[in-house]
Amino acid sequence: MLDIGIGISSGKNAATAAEEISRLAKANKPAKNKIDLALLFTSPEFSSANFLKTINNMLGGVPIVGLTGPAVICNQGIFKHGAVLLLLSLPEGALLSHGCVKGIKTKPPREAGEEIGDKLLCGLKNNTRGLGLLFFDRLVEDGPNIISGLQDHLGRSFPCWGVFPSDHFHPIRTSLYFNQSIVTDGCAGIVLGGRISCGAGMKHGWKPLGKPHSVSAAEANIIKKIDGQPAVKLYEEYLACDLNRLKKEIKTLSISYPIGVFAPGETEYILRNVHNVTDDGSLICQGNIPEGSMIRLMISTKETCLKAAYAAVAEAVNNVSNPMLKFSKTKTSQLAIAFSSFSRYNLLRRDTNRELEIIRESLAPNTPIIGLYSGCQLAPLTALGYRGQSYLHNQTISVLILEG
Amino acid sequence: MISYINGENLFNLLGLMSLISAIALFFVLLLKSHKINQLQESVNNLKRSLDEMDEQAKLVVRTDIELNKTQEELDKKLTGLYTLQRFSRTISSTFDEEQIFQKIEIGDLEEIGFEKALAFLWDAKERIFSLRLNVGYNEESCAGIKSQVEANKNTYWESVRNEKTLSSISMLLENNEKERLKAIFKTRSFVISPILPKEGNQGFLFVGSDKNPMITIGDEELITILANQLGQALENARLFEKTWHAHQELENRVEERTRELSLALEEVKKISKRKSDFVSSVSHELRTPLTSIKGYASILLAGKLGVVPEEVHKRLDKINKHSDELVQFVNDLLDISRIESGKASMKLVPQGLKAILEEISDMLSVLLKEKEISFSSELAPDLPEVLVDKEQIKRVFINLINNAIKYTPKGKITVRVIDSGKQVQVDVSDTGCGIPENALETIFEEFYRVDSTLNQDIKGTGLGLALVRNIIEAHKGKIWVKSKVGEGSTFSFTLPNAF
Repeated sequence: MLDIGIGISSGKNAATAAEEISRLAKANKPAKNKIDLALLFTSPEFSSANFLKTINNMLGGVPIVGLTGPAVICNQGIFKHGAVLLLLSLPEGALLSHGCVKGIKTKPPREAGEEIGDKLLCGLKNNTRGLGLLFFDRLVEDGPNIISGLQDHLGRSFPCWGVFPSDHFHPIRTSLYFNQSIVTDGCAGIVLGGRISCGAGMKHGWKPLGKPHSVSAAEANIIKKIDGQPAVKLYEEYLACDLNRLKKEIKTLSISYPIGVFAPGETEYILRNVHNVTDDGSLICQGNIPEGSMIRLMISTKETCLKAAYAAVAEAVNNVSNPMLKFSKTKTSQLAIAFSSFSRYNLLRRDTNRELEIIRESLAPNTPIIGLYSGCQLAPLTALGYRGQSYLHNQTISVLILEG
Repeated sequence: MISYINGENLFNLLGLMSLISAIALFFVLLLKSHKINQLQESVNNLKRSLDEMDEQAKLVVRTDIELNKTQEELDKKLTGLYTLQRFSRTISSTFDEEQIFQKIEIGDLEEIGFEKALAFLWDAKERIFSLRLNVGYNEESCAGIKSQVEANKNTYWESVRNEKTLSSISMLLENNEKERLKAIFKTRSFVISPILPKEGNQGFLFVGSDKNPMITIGDEELITILANQLGQALENARLFEKTWHAHQELENRVEERTRELSLALEEVKKISKRKSDFVSSVSHELRTPLTSIKGYASILLAGKLGVVPEEVHKRLDKINKHSDELVQFVNDLLDISRIESGKASMKLVPQGLKAILEEISDMLSVLLKEKEISFSSELAPDLPEVLVDKEQIKRVFINLINNAIKYTPKGKITVRVIDSGKQVQVDVSDTGCGIPENALETIFEEFYRVDSTLNQDIKGTGLGLALVRNIIEAHKGKIWVKSKVGEGSTFSFTLPNAF
């Protein structure tokens, strides 16, 4: 049975917060058995050597993986300034490996992926591998390629989920926690395997609007032409804004009206935020858009956003409840890890807490929840044609459920 | 022939068939073309519908943008109001000027869309703007801004005096001052609003944001309210401090006066003790020779030293009588002194007042008869017993009734006893000459005698009522008098119930 203890602190002082979360997490953990992993999410101001050192001292050599982000999530609420620590002891037969690769900016992405894949594979060879969770300290455009390298080693359809805490829309200073180190320009991850059930779900809630358009010229994350015309025309026409205004406001407008890329077999379009408009009318997106893609302008309401949260958690619950994945017939416990886009936080504004409430009410009472608001998310597409390849997603909420 | 016919026929047949086929094809093509035209029309219709829907979608997006903007503004206002309410509650929870600013935290600022804040208050003594709040700046940046504010203090002071809020939204685009302020405070958007407490130093609050370059008039209004609340909180803190100081001063004065009074009281107590000691020692010293005088007078009167002539006998009687009076006087003095110093112990036992009054009535019946004064006692039924020293209470009654007899030439003396809960009240009333109003307060003081022509003919030491008061007070009772000249007096006192 999963044994979990969570500590939360919204205090301003990092040293006090480190002590508080460690003490609380230990106290809240029912069994005092060996801790297999400490998962640490904090707001950026906590990221200091002393903060991590205090936690290490109090936990005594427990592997620590985590990252900073714009806001942390836990059962008690959403905190823009806070730290949350999860101590996890896995059930018998469950396995976990963790690893970190530094300097990913200077390495070929595939190689970086292979390097972390090697590290994560260590100790899991010849065992069932359930789910990989990757944390990047900032937006890495080559994230999917890093995952591809990782999947070369862990299996082509191995489900990898990930978080980029900052992106073009939320350019905050973020860092990773890995054991005794604070890492920047890196990627840390964990892989769960053996006798543990994992389920995940991801949704955004944006709906297509207007007629479909075809990307007639694109290069990586730059859409040059749509329907043979400069790409910016799409926003000019729909939003009735001129180029100058769009250049200034595209970030804000694109959060409400992103571009949706049609993905055959998927229930939702893949969202792409536009973070810049060039003078020649090209749209620079957050994530690649292949030439020839069928795209739509997307729109949402608070209601559809919140419904997506219901759908994401329901999908995760449904996945984890799959009898094929059940390892134990005895009593089990669950842990939910939630990652939501900070754009959603800004869009939902006063209703932000509703997302957490939805997760809470969709799970069994008192299920521990830990999470982080992030810039971009990485998640596999479920349609067969994509063979489990992970893609960069914008504005989604993803919920991972571990059961054992 | 057959073959010719056959060949010709075949040719004709083929020609006919070709003709029929061509006609059929023509009809088929005609039909298909019609179908194609119909389909083309449907496609065109669909395309038109799609275009129309696309146009509608554009309208939807544009309306949605407007709605979002309004919703955002509304949300911001609501969040701002909640935050303001929280701010207000927090900053009102302290009366410490320093703490008011410490209560403003980064989380609260972010709630209203800003992540930097500085507050400056004008220091009238030093003639500088002193920094009271810094959120979101490191020490180096803060020092830089402080020196810039100092360098342009007159400009800032002017805007504080004019009660003017400056912001990156309300200042004109071409205004150089706006860009200068942005550069000084290292921010993309800002609001600067005066802090205006009615008393004491005024100043200004700056809030800024890099994340939110598009602040609104609503933001400006919100910060103006916040600055007003800060001003109000500062005013309250200063008023509190002033009141507190005044209170402290008052307390110090009260303490000083109390100390002075305590010292005076101690002095009075010392003097009173000295007086009691003096009276006690003098009384003791007087009693010894008095006893001798009285003894010798008694010996002489008894004729033990020979027959005493009639005239000498008369004088000896007077010596004896005056000696008795003097002994009584000395005894009264000693009793007062003992009771005052607490040396006289009261033997408190439950007693019925009826029996005591009967004894007193018997004792004084001769005197009453002589002066033709009627005496009556009215005791309430079921009167409880009182906890008293019987002998002392008898002295109280004797003194009061004796006084009444003395000052009532002819008339009536009434003793009334009523139960008033935890105690009984005794009223001794007479129909005598009464006491002037100005003497009522001092009548119970030692050696006090009412200054009147009548009093000159009546003997008295001025100790009787003082003794009565001391005895009553030793029983934890109270004594008072009501009187009207020419109509009589009523002396009332209380005694504690036995149960």
